Amino acid sequence: MTPKVSDIEPRSRRGGWLDPRMIDLVLYKTYADLRAEAAKTYINYLWWIVDPILSMLVFYIVFGLLLGRGGDGFVAFLLTGLVFWSWYNQTLSHAGNTILGAGGLMNQVHVPKLVFPIVTILTDFTKFCVVLAVLLVFLWLSGYAINTAYLALPVLIGIQLMLCTALSILLAGVVPYLPDLKLVVNNLIHLQFFLSGIFFAPSDIPEQYHTWFYANPMATLIESYRDILLHGAWPHAGRLMAIAFVCLVVLAAAVALIQRLDKRYPRLAQ
Amino acid sequence: MAAPTPTHDATTLISLDGVGVAFRGGQLTLRPKPPFWVLKDVTFDLRQGETLGVIGRNAAGKSTLLRLLAGIIAHDRGNIINHGHSTALLSLQTGFVPHLSGRQNAILSGILLGLRRREVEARMDAIIEFSELGDFIDEPLSNYSSGMRSRLGFSVAYQVEPDILLIDETLSVGDEEFQAKSSRAMHERIRSDKTIVLVSHSAATITALCDRAVWIDNGISREVGNVDDVTAAYRAELAQRDTSAPTGAPRRIIRSKTEGVST
Repeated sequence: MTPKVSDIEPRSRRGGWLDPRMIDLVLYKTYADLRAEAAKTYINYLWWIVDPILSMLVFYIVFGLLLGRGGDGFVAFLLTGLVFWSWYNQTLSHAGNTILGAGGLMNQVHVPKLVFPIVTILTDFTKFCVVLAVLLVFLWLSGYAINTAYLALPVLIGIQLMLCTALSILLAGVVPYLPDLKLVVNNLIHLQFFLSGIFFAPSDIPEQYHTWFYANPMATLIESYRDILLHGAWPHAGRLMAIAFVCLVVLAAAVALIQRLDKRYPRLAQ
Repeated sequence: MAAPTPTHDATTLISLDGVGVAFRGGQLTLRPKPPFWVLKDVTFDLRQGETLGVIGRNAAGKSTLLRLLAGIIAHDRGNIINHGHSTALLSLQTGFVPHLSGRQNAILSGILLGLRRREVEARMDAIIEFSELGDFIDEPLSNYSSGMRSRLGFSVAYQVEPDILLIDETLSVGDEEFQAKSSRAMHERIRSDKTIVLVSHSAATITALCDRAVWIDNGISREVGNVDDVTAAYRAELAQRDTSAPTGAPRRIIRSKTEGVST
């Protein structure tokens, strides 16, 4: 039978998103984007590893060598923070443009707009998985053994994926209306980078600021990753559940927003 | 709402009643511009199995009407009733990416145009044969000539068969030889009992291919009905304008360039 491309009932709730064709589209477009991105460079897929290693090297040179913050286990400490941070950073810096950048395509066919941010979230997640594998190998070689707390690692990654998804979809939906937001967000992420305890431990900051420090979800997540990977300890479940709950609320609101404006976006980006 | 709704006999697939589409200058701004009504008042029915011509000059709102029928944009006033039929705009090279092979692009484009992945894969032989690409199908698209790209684009788009096919006549398809082949294939499909909406600014094309026609002028459906009557009225108006008001033309042409072309 001919698949349904679209109908034109105004404001209808078609649930077009759970259409199996949309799952085909998301998966194949993710695959195609990854292939296309790799094909643009000489060493192709190697960049997925080389690029993060180079950027980590920058931090190691500055904080480990120049500022002499080295000492026992600093490299593992720094890398653990950076790997999870750069996943967050990459996803969010790509998110704002996902719907806006698809202007040509949106005006040729009806595509549920959620497809665009989700594809970008998945390509960034794929690249993160490769880097994570490298990090884990590095940690095992450095003497940080696998422990039972590793069982919490998938849950933690799942929560961070929810965080990335919620914020990305929100950005993807709002930036076409308010392009200025992208510049504001870039600076906020920059600020958040310094506040997430990537090159310092929470114990380095005064006790009275801890409530605020942990209000930043990335600070909590990064500390939890270190608990598991470096100390073999279980993470703080209460804070993580709070993050997951807030993410779900934001995600639901962002999805509703994009669904509602589905047929408005093509007019903004042409 | 107060306007009388068109009657819906069993064969009506889509009805439009007083439909308007406004462009509001897009992004949020501190000083919003007044809306610009690209379509102001469009009323017609699309019936099962017919080829409906949409005729009108450049920037009359024809492309916007097609995008509205394709479900890409929504209308701002009036009523559209679609009795549950799928529509698709015939668009070529949709979603093509230079760094992927022709085959990968065909799959991606086919999914975007409404097929399942396995459906595109099942029709891949037909796509390769129609496009005459042969082994080149596995070369990256960046090695293709523009003619080869448009051949692949047409061959993929031709595999998609929605209930209602929307065609913009201004589509250009590759070199002369393939142009003949593709328009033959297209004309065959238009003459079959498929339901088609064909947009053109040429009265001759509409008369040759369509059963009924709608004349869109300045966002308003001026005439609907038998193709000969509608094109005659359109021609009469054109002839009249050519002699009386030639100065109106330049502004419209400029706007039509920014309005987005359908290829």
